[in-house]
Amino acid sequence: MLLECHNIQFRYPGSETLLFHDLHLKFDTPGFHALFGPSGVGKSSLAKIISGHLVPEGGVVRFNGKGRPLYGYNLERLPGWSSVGRHLDRVTPGHHRALKEKLVSAFDLEAIMDQHFSQLSLGQQNRINLLRYLVQDFDALIMDESLANVDEKTRGHILLTIKTIFPDVLFLYISHNVVEVATFCRDIQVLRGTHKSPRVVKVQGRDCRSGADVDRQLLQNTMLEIMNAA
Amino acid sequence: MGILTGRKVLMALLCIGLWLTVVDIGPLSADQAVSYRLKWLINMSTVGDVYAEAQGLFASEGLTVALKPGGPERDAIRELELGHADFGVASADQVIHALAKGSPVVVLAQLFQANPLQWIYFKDRVQIDTPADFKGKTVGVTFGKNDEIIMRTLLARAGVPESGVRLYSVRLDYTPFFSGRADLWPVYINSQGVEIGQRLEAAGERIAFFNPEAHGVRFVANSVVTSERLKSERPELVERFLRALLAGWQSAVDPANTETALAAVRQYDRDTTLEVLRAQLEATRPLIQSPGGPAVGYIDIAAWEQTEAMMRQYGQIDRAVDVGRRLRKP
Amino acid sequence: MLLRRIYQFLMIYLLGVLCLLVIKVAADLSDYVIPGIDALWLSVRDVGWRYVVDVLDTLRVAVIGQVLSIGMALFIGILGRQATWFGSFIKVAAYNVQAYPIVAIAPIIFILLGDGFVSRLLIAAMICYFPLLLSVVGIMSQPIPDVEHFYRQTGRMRWQLEVKIRSFENLSKLTTVIVGSATLAMAGTIVAEFIAASAGIGYSIRIALYQSDLAKILVALFMIGITLSIYQGILEWVGSAVKKVWAR
Repeated sequence: MLLECHNIQFRYPGSETLLFHDLHLKFDTPGFHALFGPSGVGKSSLAKIISGHLVPEGGVVRFNGKGRPLYGYNLERLPGWSSVGRHLDRVTPGHHRALKEKLVSAFDLEAIMDQHFSQLSLGQQNRINLLRYLVQDFDALIMDESLANVDEKTRGHILLTIKTIFPDVLFLYISHNVVEVATFCRDIQVLRGTHKSPRVVKVQGRDCRSGADVDRQLLQNTMLEIMNAA
Repeated sequence: MGILTGRKVLMALLCIGLWLTVVDIGPLSADQAVSYRLKWLINMSTVGDVYAEAQGLFASEGLTVALKPGGPERDAIRELELGHADFGVASADQVIHALAKGSPVVVLAQLFQANPLQWIYFKDRVQIDTPADFKGKTVGVTFGKNDEIIMRTLLARAGVPESGVRLYSVRLDYTPFFSGRADLWPVYINSQGVEIGQRLEAAGERIAFFNPEAHGVRFVANSVVTSERLKSERPELVERFLRALLAGWQSAVDPANTETALAAVRQYDRDTTLEVLRAQLEATRPLIQSPGGPAVGYIDIAAWEQTEAMMRQYGQIDRAVDVGRRLRKP
Repeated sequence: MLLRRIYQFLMIYLLGVLCLLVIKVAADLSDYVIPGIDALWLSVRDVGWRYVVDVLDTLRVAVIGQVLSIGMALFIGILGRQATWFGSFIKVAAYNVQAYPIVAIAPIIFILLGDGFVSRLLIAAMICYFPLLLSVVGIMSQPIPDVEHFYRQTGRMRWQLEVKIRSFENLSKLTTVIVGSATLAMAGTIVAEFIAASAGIGYSIRIALYQSDLAKILVALFMIGITLSIYQGILEWVGSAVKKVWAR
């Protein structure tokens, strides 16, 4: 077991109803996994509980890795006083310089290194934000709609790159795109509405890797399974 | 059409507002109510004013007088011109300033026959017998006010060059005087002079006052003023007001009426002790009427002319105003 | 920006003088109540240059006072930005000090420190620091989660960085508050001079009041207004220049 949420109880301050009641879920292996579900079921809240930003009323989060899982989301901004290149240099540990260069190239961001964050398109902003997380020392990263504004082709390319470069890291990918989740993720934890039981259903994704073709029939079955679970 | 009507209404309202602001006709209505703006807050220097009011002297002349305390930002002459007051108290320098700028103000009576402004000093620190003794001293003056003119006149007459005296700017407190940074400090002899004098004497200090009038410098102080228009259009009202007011002053400084006078001032000035008020009244009497001197309210034309000459000399006015023409003839 | 401020002030001033003149003519008032154009011109000739020197003296004190109060507000704002006991204590103390009207405290300051430069400076700083403090505390205690999140996640957040982020994100607001506080610093200095100092334009206004000379006061108001407009224009320009350089 790499990451486990055990008996999580959580409600937002001022709310009478529990968002999570004895919630269980776990990820046994590293790899590219997903948290999926309709809006409002608590994906981001669960991600914040896992990363330590929210404290549950009850239950425990166990993580067998260094520190806490990192949590990045698509609305984050880089400070405006320096170029994105300079910012990346500052936040990249010395031993990850080469990794940074590799990712900049893979994410197709070389041309914008001299620009300020506010001058970038939303898709470029998403990519640069994700990139700065990837050059940190981490064992788990939650990507909360981190590529929401990136076009589909680039998004696919980025996800495959990440899976190739970081095979031993746990990724939790939060997205509303069922095709993408079914295609690229391995364990898909589908969060359901508060009135449904069980609250979480696990679906096996296709876990597509670079260079491998996807069986379209199996993919469709997975997608159906996800939709039925939700 | 609607817009035009709206504009007309707006203009009419503006005109009415302006008219009410600048031409206040309220006080002169049929009930003979008049308003009287004093120069300063009510204290012993206004004893005659409050006495006349408290003893019903105005009422016996058929007048209801609204006594309005003055203050540093109040100017009775401006209020006369704007119609906010019918009578007021102003110092001679205010009157002459106003005349130099075309204000139609007239002087009805001179309340202070002697200017209460004098300079206090510690006898153990300095010895001042004549203005020539100011040489080498630090003298407090309020720049821009009449004490500056009086001091400059004193120095000029004594032949002391301005470089021979250090003039110290007088503001809020007496610390520079108490601490010795200034040797002499201007005070009103009948108010602050009494209070501070008593305190210092109680502390074992020997103090004295330098009186400019004793050295020939006569600068007229508080006087009763009104507008030329009121004087010419309502002479009987002016006479009635003046009669009541001067009767008030006459009685207030009469030693037989001491308690009544003190009670009248104490109604307004509750911060000053009765003992100090009594001493202040004592000090006020000779300023209003000296034994064998002219009647209360007498206008000393020569003193007014000297005041104008001093102001002219020190650039406070840029032209002669012939102040004698604006003084009420007996 | 600078020119706009100057001509806007000139328009307001001229409009004000025009209104006074209309009232003067309509109510047939003497120069003692409302000075005419000739009296104004004479005053400009007589005291214009002296008032320029006075107003520059006042501005000098106001600028130093404002710089001090910006420093003070930043210091207290940064200390008080956190929702801790100490942060709340600092805020309460700072607010309580401001509860006393400066005009009431001013005489005590003058008695203790005399009527010189230091008293004027202190009063100017005290008058303009509170609005600055309110804004700085507001800005500094308001997190910018979208920017700060990454630094907190990765353990890089330091108080200097937090202050830098919040200042940068609120630079326009800060510039507006600083420009506005210039008016207060100037007003504070003038009040101080008016009450008890022996220099500056406030002192000159006091003397003009003693002499019942409204023309001189109008000249002084013009000098104050035009100087303040230029100063505020410069501050705005500096604010936008800082933003440009910082965001380059």
